[in-house]
Amino acid sequence: MRETIRLTLRGYKIWWRENPQMLIAPALCSIVETVSPYVSVWLLAQLINEIAGQKDRQRMIALTFALLVSAALLTLLGAALDRWKNVQWADMWHVQNRIINRKLLSMDFAGVEHSRTQELRSQVWQNTDSGGLGLYKLLNCFDAAVRSATAIAGGIALTISLFVLPVKSRELFFLNSPIFVLPIAGAMAAVTLLVPVFSGKAGAYWGKFAEENKFGNRLFGFWLGSLGEDTAKALDVRVYRQDILCKRHLQKYNPFIPTAKLPKAARGPMGGYRALSGAVAQVFTGAAYLYVCLKALGGAFRVGSIVQYVSVLTAVFGGLSLLLSTFEDLKNNQPFLRIVFEFLDIPNQMKQSGLKLENRQIQPLEIEFCHASFKYPGQDNYALRDVSIKLRAGRRLAVVGMNGSGKTTFIKLLCRLYDPTEGAILLNGTDIREIDYHEYLSLFAVVFQDFKLLSFALGQNVASATNYNSEKAEHCLFDSGFGEQLDRLPKRLSTPLYKDFEEDGVDVSGGEAQKIAIARALYKDASFIILDEPTAALDPIAEHEIYARMDRMMGEKTAVFISHRLSSCRFCQDIAVFHEGRLVQRGAHDKLVAEKTGVYSELWAAQAKHYISNEA
Amino acid sequence: MNPRKRVVNLHNVFYMISLARKQRPSILWFSLFLVIIALLLSVTQLVMVPAILIAVENGVSIGELVKVILMFTSILMVLNAASAYLTSCSQLGRIELRLKLAGMLQNKALTMSYPDVENPDVRKKKDKAVMLVNSNQCATEVIWTTLTNLLKSMAEFAVCLFLLSTLHSGIILVVVTATVISFSVSNYLNGWGYRHRDEESEYSRRMNYLSEKSRDYTLAKDVCIFGLGSWIEEVFDSTLRLYRRFMARGECICLWGNIIDVILIFLRNGILYFFLIGSVLRGEMPCAQFVLCFNAVNVFTNGIGNIMSCFSALRRQSLDISAIREFLYYPETFQMEGGEVLVPDPGAKYKIQLENVSFRYPGAGQDTLSHLNLTIEPGEKLAVVGLNGAGKTTLIKLICGFLGPTEGRVLLNNTDIRTYNRRDYYRLFSAVFQDYSVLDVSIAENIAQTDENINIELMNRCVEQAGLTEKINSLNNGVQTHLGMVFEDSVRLSGGELQRLMLARALYKNAPIFVLDEPTSALDPIAESEIYHKYNELTAGHMAVYISHRLASTRFCDRIILMADGGIAEEGTHEQLMAQNGRYAELFELQSRYYREGGEGYAGNNTPDPARV
Repeated sequence: MRETIRLTLRGYKIWWRENPQMLIAPALCSIVETVSPYVSVWLLAQLINEIAGQKDRQRMIALTFALLVSAALLTLLGAALDRWKNVQWADMWHVQNRIINRKLLSMDFAGVEHSRTQELRSQVWQNTDSGGLGLYKLLNCFDAAVRSATAIAGGIALTISLFVLPVKSRELFFLNSPIFVLPIAGAMAAVTLLVPVFSGKAGAYWGKFAEENKFGNRLFGFWLGSLGEDTAKALDVRVYRQDILCKRHLQKYNPFIPTAKLPKAARGPMGGYRALSGAVAQVFTGAAYLYVCLKALGGAFRVGSIVQYVSVLTAVFGGLSLLLSTFEDLKNNQPFLRIVFEFLDIPNQMKQSGLKLENRQIQPLEIEFCHASFKYPGQDNYALRDVSIKLRAGRRLAVVGMNGSGKTTFIKLLCRLYDPTEGAILLNGTDIREIDYHEYLSLFAVVFQDFKLLSFALGQNVASATNYNSEKAEHCLFDSGFGEQLDRLPKRLSTPLYKDFEEDGVDVSGGEAQKIAIARALYKDASFIILDEPTAALDPIAEHEIYARMDRMMGEKTAVFISHRLSSCRFCQDIAVFHEGRLVQRGAHDKLVAEKTGVYSELWAAQAKHYISNEA
Repeated sequence: MNPRKRVVNLHNVFYMISLARKQRPSILWFSLFLVIIALLLSVTQLVMVPAILIAVENGVSIGELVKVILMFTSILMVLNAASAYLTSCSQLGRIELRLKLAGMLQNKALTMSYPDVENPDVRKKKDKAVMLVNSNQCATEVIWTTLTNLLKSMAEFAVCLFLLSTLHSGIILVVVTATVISFSVSNYLNGWGYRHRDEESEYSRRMNYLSEKSRDYTLAKDVCIFGLGSWIEEVFDSTLRLYRRFMARGECICLWGNIIDVILIFLRNGILYFFLIGSVLRGEMPCAQFVLCFNAVNVFTNGIGNIMSCFSALRRQSLDISAIREFLYYPETFQMEGGEVLVPDPGAKYKIQLENVSFRYPGAGQDTLSHLNLTIEPGEKLAVVGLNGAGKTTLIKLICGFLGPTEGRVLLNNTDIRTYNRRDYYRLFSAVFQDYSVLDVSIAENIAQTDENINIELMNRCVEQAGLTEKINSLNNGVQTHLGMVFEDSVRLSGGELQRLMLARALYKNAPIFVLDEPTSALDPIAESEIYHKYNELTAGHMAVYISHRLASTRFCDRIILMADGGIAEEGTHEQLMAQNGRYAELFELQSRYYREGGEGYAGNNTPDPARV
């Protein structure tokens, strides 16, 4: 209970910080909308009493006017507040996404890639998307809580007289005794409690099938969603007739077909509980009528007040049920909130502050791995084992090896996406963990194998920012070999990439995208440039052009290339060969080829023979 | 069929009804019962209050009063219970039908003629249709609620009209007119958001895209290194500001609707109330009847509003359904249903001919391929090489029947492939394309592309040939291990492993013609070399087309064609082409230079400018 309150309050604080009006507007709107029918009911009761009683002409006209005017004014006020609330709530979904995005974007890479993070992230998303749970739920609950509290407070004020006014008729005198009033009130309270119990039991079935529902969402997400979205897959889909398997999977696992568990429950116990809760609610209305009418029969008040008391009692009942179900909702929401907060509280593992790099302009930067070993979190095997290597400033290093030899892991450690499990990495003799994280990252520009560009302007993609230096961006694009294409684009740097948002966007090919990604790396002005398979998507001529330009492009920078095309090694003075997580060979091409038993010569031979010898 | 001409295009409503009748008729029955119960409920509530008031006013005995109240209460209990139960039952059927429709749309998307997949117009239609089946709020599910409400409101209206028949007919006219005017005005203004929904969805789409990118862990490396975070947040925030401003504008306009509404209601109710009060003062109307009329007037005016809003909702929903049908029944370019039946026979000889084929992409200024002639003999191993953009992929798409030639013909054993059923034609191919569609199912199902009667022995052999046995044996569930996101126990394969899996799939299908488009791009040199060596064994007895821009990889083929300038520039065996000393030789020279012992290697200064091919 205390936990629920703590988490819930923290959730509201988050919303308040995002935009306080998201809470103020619905509160005011709910109060006005709840009070307004009470005013009408009270005035109407007075009017009916007048009709049933004195029939005073003046008073009747005055009451009718009051009824009309108050209804008009309150409706208007309510509508204005409702519009205000709509504006504040319209972007609820996006604001909650922004909270999550901000966290994701500020996490360090080890945090993002950690399986627990991904699990939490997908849970947060699924809970919001499929059930509106978590932070999202809090806003609706807030609205409901204000509404019910107002309904109860206002209702009690309007019904005190019901219990106090005495019956005049002798026959019904027992109604005046508190001994009789108490059980009546008790019975009404019991019904009020019973209704949410039943509807809660019905609702619990949804919870019972939560796993099935989540599975269903993933199932439909894939088969009805992603499978058809990517047009690049369309060839494969047709040749292998994947539509057939799609149909079968949708039929086989669909949780909504009548014979599945959920629909069976809906027709059985779940429907039964819903019916019960619907019926029991009417017991309250019946009891209210009985008590109110008997008192009226006994002469405690006039008939008009019957209308007032019954409708107000019903409203109070509604308010109480809403309050109870809101509490229930908040309680059920607690585990989902806990997931949200566990996610938001993931600590950044990398030390965020440390030494500043002051004199990097003067001193050449050298990086040294000292017996660095690395295991991915949660895994038993070392991905990298006892690697010692020095990167000399201004030189080109090629990193080669078979799939899974640890090349990419080496790069991840180098640019501190991960810290080594054992050993250390030194920058000019200082352990990089002592250096300010962001400052260290600023030394690197990397073109990863699976780099991504966003569907915004070309220039923004090169600069990774909304505002950019056009001259510099164009320069980088020319250097990376995109110049010819750039000259063909009438909007030049403002050309949007891809057609996601703009009709005049350009679809770039894999090779072109790679050139843009290289330009992005150049734009960053980093001391180290790392290219992971830089020419995989390029044809021989384009590949040749990139290599020919490489030296000029890199200038004084230190460059690291990863490739399994060994041809790219020929222009590096220095080659590091990785095998099963270890650095097994190091040196210039000629030296490595000469080591006949080494991995390098094996790799070299496998590729070169197709070009050199006559065997096919 | 112009949907704007009529208030509601009933075709679309009938379409949904007949779909429900075929797929899940209970939806219709439940809806009908819900209408009847809802009507009974509102009538009971309407007569209950005056009946009780009369009893009290007349001072009936306690027993009598209790009896009246108990009677009404028990009727309400039964009706409420029935309504709640039926709602519970009907809900899931409606979801099921919507998902059924979503399945139909997906099926269309997965099977429709390939040129339409790339057609932006059809794509837009598809995106729109898919949006209309993806939530509980969509027309395809809500239409049942609308229809139920419409029927209920119309019945209520009739009942109230009967109850109010004692009133002056002029008064009823005033009420109806005022309600209709106020509804039309505020409906028009409220429609502002609907009319500007493209603007709204534009903002939403942008923000959803950014959220998706923030969640995408494959982007995280770039985010860290290039500080993409602040860029993404900046774009997000500026879009959010625009979105808010847009919503505020819409709500301000709608507020005018509220104001007009309040004024008209004030006038209408003023006339009504004073008419009723007048009758009371003249002694024509007892108290109970006043209450009955007062409530009936409210139900009546609400009823008119409800009917009108149901119609306007139905109109929107009908437009939505028509958008769905527009995609679902988009005419096919190829013969997807009819055409001559073609059963692939592994023993038969297949020959493919391209006869004077030209192809131009829609809207392009020039042909991608022009007047190309090519015959691929049965059992031939053909290699297609060329630079990026030379038309290799277009050629493959023409051979596989994904695109139709703009000019000329593609022949299978001398018959134009347009004669055949296109789906049958696809059965002739075992392919590994550059982009592959890995399904969220088990490895076995991914290889066999079916979930029944999988030939285990054949599968194991294919896995072995593709070099995936070791990996699969290392998995706890072997070939039963799931891939992707749908199943909890799924594993992720590396790029190289996926490519081997795709090779295994192609081998398992064992279709007469193999098409391999850069099938080793994700493999390391040793694995790649292994595949090259096994190539002839793997494709023995089949026609095979191998596409690559690595020239060395094509030397094991019977014939190599070099694509350039929209046609075949050179063709022959590797030796013949080298002897020709043309473009092929030049390209080969360029690539092999890096590998030659003692060659120049990379040299920035004296590299000859490679001639454009």
